[in-house]
Amino acid sequence: MKPCYLIFTLLICCMACKKDLIPKKEGNFKLNFEHKVGTSRLTLGTTTYKNPSAESYTVTAFKYFISNVYLVKMDNSLLRLPISYHLVDESKPESKSILLLAPQGEYRAIGFKLGVDSTRNVSGAQTDALDPVLGMFWSWNSGYIMAKMEGASPVSAAPDKKLTFHVGGFKGQYNAVQDIRIQTPISINVGPDREPAVTFTTDLNAWFGPPNIVSFATTATIHSPGEAAWKISVNYKNMFRITNVTDL
Amino acid sequence: MKRYVVYTCFVMALIWACRKSGDNKPPAGPTPYTVTLPAHFPQPVYDLTQNPPTVEGIALGRRLFYDPRLSRDSTISCGFCHQQFAAFAHFDHALSHGIDNRNGFRSVPSLFNLLWQKDFMWDGGVNHLDIQPLTPITDANEMGEDLGRLIARLNADKKYRSMFDGAFGPGEINSQKLFRALSQFMATMNSFNSKYDSVLTHKAQFTPDEQAGYAIFQAKCASCHKEPLFTDGSFRNNGLPYNEFLNDAGRMRITNSTGDYLKFRVPSLRNIIKSPPYMHDGRFYDIYDVFEHYSSGIEQTPTIDPIVKNGIPLSQEEQRQLYFFLTTLTDYTFINNKSLSEILIDN
Repeated sequence: MKPCYLIFTLLICCMACKKDLIPKKEGNFKLNFEHKVGTSRLTLGTTTYKNPSAESYTVTAFKYFISNVYLVKMDNSLLRLPISYHLVDESKPESKSILLLAPQGEYRAIGFKLGVDSTRNVSGAQTDALDPVLGMFWSWNSGYIMAKMEGASPVSAAPDKKLTFHVGGFKGQYNAVQDIRIQTPISINVGPDREPAVTFTTDLNAWFGPPNIVSFATTATIHSPGEAAWKISVNYKNMFRITNVTDL
Repeated sequence: MKRYVVYTCFVMALIWACRKSGDNKPPAGPTPYTVTLPAHFPQPVYDLTQNPPTVEGIALGRRLFYDPRLSRDSTISCGFCHQQFAAFAHFDHALSHGIDNRNGFRSVPSLFNLLWQKDFMWDGGVNHLDIQPLTPITDANEMGEDLGRLIARLNADKKYRSMFDGAFGPGEINSQKLFRALSQFMATMNSFNSKYDSVLTHKAQFTPDEQAGYAIFQAKCASCHKEPLFTDGSFRNNGLPYNEFLNDAGRMRITNSTGDYLKFRVPSLRNIIKSPPYMHDGRFYDIYDVFEHYSSGIEQTPTIDPIVKNGIPLSQEEQRQLYFFLTTLTDYTFINNKSLSEILIDN
């Protein structure tokens, strides 16, 4: 091998190394959540909706945890973001927009957990989105409520015709933590000079089926982990759709 | 290289300058506290490195423990039900009770050696010491308070603000700090200085009656009440006749498994003579009633523990000797420990 080749090769190597030294660029991207019931916009309070069993109902509370967000690169490999927990709450407009930081790149899908992973359920006192003060924690049977919906329905047999769906449970066969992955209609480009925003439309009616159709006449209250809660989580796994991607 | 030296010196000079221009005293952080762990105990379950105890944190936890303002109407503190002289159980009360003269449906468990306990409550529903206090604080039959309201009240209290700042650094009081302070105090509630421990570490000797009782204990009780904690931490159906008024399914309530019907935590026998009444519903006020239960009172139900299924016969003499052994589990240094005793909260 001629010395000049050797030098050339070394130079290439050096350049390759040098590239690694350049700090990886990162950018923000946003997840927005818009809440609907069927085709109508969700409004807390008096607006009346119909569930898939055609039973009418109103909604007073709607919230759920988004955590363990990851991005799917164009080659289908996963990029896991640092674990963070977000409580999306219809009554708090600012909570419906989550700002995240990710390495520069082009991504074709977004994934996350709907709920709080088992580790955090057994790690003692937490803060921020996981603070039990937010009413998403069961104290009699330690664990997070992954998603909560409250309201009323004329067909409900519960006191005051209430609907109380507190869905949780992180153990065994009735683990209500659901993995969700949704392909974006156009790829999203993250970089230092752009801030793509992905809008998810979340349909509350998905909670009540399919596949497990829920009639408020027979099920109006879920207050504990178990099969009933898990069935709802299997339903609401399908509640998200990406309806918009903006790239600013 | 020379340039780096210059830069480093410059930066250090800057830091020095800042330090001089600031307060003359170094910032007073909380004082670390080392919890004494007995050599003859297993490794604790609670990870103290996640919540390192400090003198300030423990003092704060103690104040919170004895402060009735943690309850909705400011009448019930943690210490109201957990009395030190009763090994932090509730003397003379079968069932827990709280604000508005309400009754709970289980007895108050004694509190000690909580660092070695992996789950809490009679049914094991709580999985971490830090969040255990959330249950009695928010339970309508106990302290009946809303956690958010309690945190707001603490934040509005000057004395608490300064104590929390001292223990955890400046900032808003949140539930994590509240729970960690309580855990730090509870981490000091340890009982390992009974006569039994002295015998175990060759500093004392059992009397002949105690020795005989120890032999009976080892033969007939030790498989569930495992030494040295005197519990194996399991949940079992010990054949107690069903209490139709309380209608308590026990651990099945937590696991949804019919196999756990009527199962309750095996309690520690440490300080047992000081902490009546006994059983999850406090039905026995006398330890001899407990002996009689195992000897001749077992009720057969599908989930009954195989160990007690056929009863554990105990003659009158054996019961008397067992009693003498159980008295050696009373830890007088623990129930008289001044650093755990009730403090008056007057402001």
